[in-house]
Amino acid sequence: MASLSLEHIYKKYPNGFEAVKDFNLDIKDKEFIIFVGPSGCGKSTTLRMIAGLEDISSGTLKIDGKVMNDVEPKDRDIAMVFQNYALYPHMTVYDNMAFGLKLRKVPKDEIDKAVRNAAKILDLTQLLDRKPKALSGGQRQRVAMGRAIVRNPKVFLMDEPLSNLDAKLRVQMRSEIAKLHQRLGTTIIYVTHDQTEAMTLGTRIVVMKDGVVQQVDTPQHLYDKPCNLFVAGFMGSPQMNFLDVTCQIEGDKACLVLDGKKIPLNAEKSKALKDGGYNGKTVVMGIRPEHMTDHPDRIKGAEVLFDAKINVYELLGAEVFLYFDLAGTPMTARVDPSTTARPGSDVQFAMDLDKIHVFDKETEKTICN
Amino acid sequence: MISAQIVKNCLEELTSISKVEFCVQDTNGALYARTSNAEITDPGMISNFCRQAVDSQIIGDRYILKVREDEEVTFALTAIGSSDYTLMVARIAVSEIQNLMHAYKEKYDRNNFFQNLLLDNLLLVDIHNRAKKLHIIFTVPRAVVLIEIESEESDTNAEDFLSGIFTAHNGDYLTEVDENSVILIKAVDTTESYDQIQQAAQVCVDMLNTEAMLNVRVSYGTIVDDLKNLSKSYKEAKMAMDVGRIFYADRKVISYNELGIGRLIYQLPSNLCRVFIKEVFGDNIPDNLDNETLTTINTFFDNNLNVSETSRKLFIHRNTLVYRIEKLQKSTGLDIRNFEDALTFKIALMVMNYLKYLDQKDY
Repeated sequence: MASLSLEHIYKKYPNGFEAVKDFNLDIKDKEFIIFVGPSGCGKSTTLRMIAGLEDISSGTLKIDGKVMNDVEPKDRDIAMVFQNYALYPHMTVYDNMAFGLKLRKVPKDEIDKAVRNAAKILDLTQLLDRKPKALSGGQRQRVAMGRAIVRNPKVFLMDEPLSNLDAKLRVQMRSEIAKLHQRLGTTIIYVTHDQTEAMTLGTRIVVMKDGVVQQVDTPQHLYDKPCNLFVAGFMGSPQMNFLDVTCQIEGDKACLVLDGKKIPLNAEKSKALKDGGYNGKTVVMGIRPEHMTDHPDRIKGAEVLFDAKINVYELLGAEVFLYFDLAGTPMTARVDPSTTARPGSDVQFAMDLDKIHVFDKETEKTICN
Repeated sequence: MISAQIVKNCLEELTSISKVEFCVQDTNGALYARTSNAEITDPGMISNFCRQAVDSQIIGDRYILKVREDEEVTFALTAIGSSDYTLMVARIAVSEIQNLMHAYKEKYDRNNFFQNLLLDNLLLVDIHNRAKKLHIIFTVPRAVVLIEIESEESDTNAEDFLSGIFTAHNGDYLTEVDENSVILIKAVDTTESYDQIQQAAQVCVDMLNTEAMLNVRVSYGTIVDDLKNLSKSYKEAKMAMDVGRIFYADRKVISYNELGIGRLIYQLPSNLCRVFIKEVFGDNIPDNLDNETLTTINTFFDNNLNVSETSRKLFIHRNTLVYRIEKLQKSTGLDIRNFEDALTFKIALMVMNYLKYLDQKDY
């Protein structure tokens, strides 16, 4: 089992393109770390640097306290599962898992032990004699993981391993991977652009953009306390609603003015805005769709109400998404399916004022959560 | 010649099924392969047997049989035992080894054929004839995928990891032209099936990364409709590899069809490139732009020459960015806030990269 440390890691290509900038992260033993971000943000490049498949331009990578910058991939005690896996069609599941070890001239009895152990972990024991064409998509994916497990590595690196699967299978495999982490008890670093995968699997998430780490935190904290506008927008589906508002401070109380309506803020948020000197300035207000409601009980006691005309109504069974415009900005609300709102109807919305996020318009950094 | 290890594996499998022990010796009686409990037959006896007209002999407690390749005796197989059952199993073993030798020869010939085909060493008439002999269909849409191993040291063979996926059975062939690259000749459904080639290229990268732990770069040429044009696809793949290495170092898969402006610059003669650089920068050639300047320029280009967006991305004040751009303008005479100057600068940077590559190559 292993801990990793990435200190001031940079990746710069000969043509001057900087894919990763000043990446710092300490990964504890047995952690499930997720690198998430839009495509081209440097997450796969970072993973490949950990694997040794890309040179580190500057900075230090340590595994268990040992500097690994110049160590060959095969000597780093890691195993990888990537997106475009292929199983050898003419080999059985057993041979597919054993193949890499055979070519590395590992003794037969060791191979047998490793394969049977991996098969047991992955629930593939009954399928060891089958050929890939006789397996389902999920079973094939498990065999691909088995090829990594047989190496008995200190660290698993996974680069979007579920991207090629359909939506249903992806959900199923997600829980399989979570179970696998519990059973193996190893350190896993997992790259994805899918924030649902990130939220459900990771013990900690690293959000990246343009080669720069934006925030490293637990899924819940990342969702509740994003450090900037990008993280706030990236985590959560549908994404957080953003509105340009004016900050008004009277005494110790701050409020945000939207379309002539004052949205009062609690003492903590007021203090942050006051201390930052935001009085009279335009700031960005963020509110998640689930923190807006049209429920009659919640409307009754609300301090501020907003009127809107519904553009689109989407029923998802357990919840409803309502799309509308507020002060010219497109908004989404996630409401109870009992809502009577329909396209074209006029609806009043209330906000959970404690859940409002405020961001600096210029720097895009969070002022208060 | 087929490897002794393959013959040994084959014999061991037969022994585990039949319980008959085997030994294979060459025509001089030298040991080639044997199962663990088999005794070697006297070399003199073997060479004597090989000179005789008979195909099999029983000597004491063993049968000796000839193994032929193209009618010529290559080995003698000894099977320990004197029963009819032993003779039957020995015949199966001979047949098995002969088939293995035939398959190996065909594979070797195919390798040889494809290597010569890719390097334009064959006449059209020879291509037809040899393809027919080797059971290679002439008119199938195919493209050449070039896999270059970038890892410095490796004790694994990339071809071993790919040969199980891309098989002749599916119309795909693997060959090597040097120790650092593997060539995949990939058959596809139609001449427009570039998705299939791209997918195969991605599989090569991911398989070699994960299984062989090798760092590779893959390029591919256009799809050609028959064998005689395969060398064209190979040349394109080679060019794509070079252009990718110079201009698109961050990409692992490079298609000849998507080389962009790099394709044009790559075709320019070096003296013309030097004239262009001199024309743009005069005597102040920014040979080694510092990291900060290069990052600033690249970020500025990536953000469509937008000053506010670039300063935000770089976490610097807008005025700092403007100062850096003006400093660059003073030293190069190009104001990259202006589209034409930005275009010239971008091309000049690419040309400089190309010249650097050429200098390194010459060196």
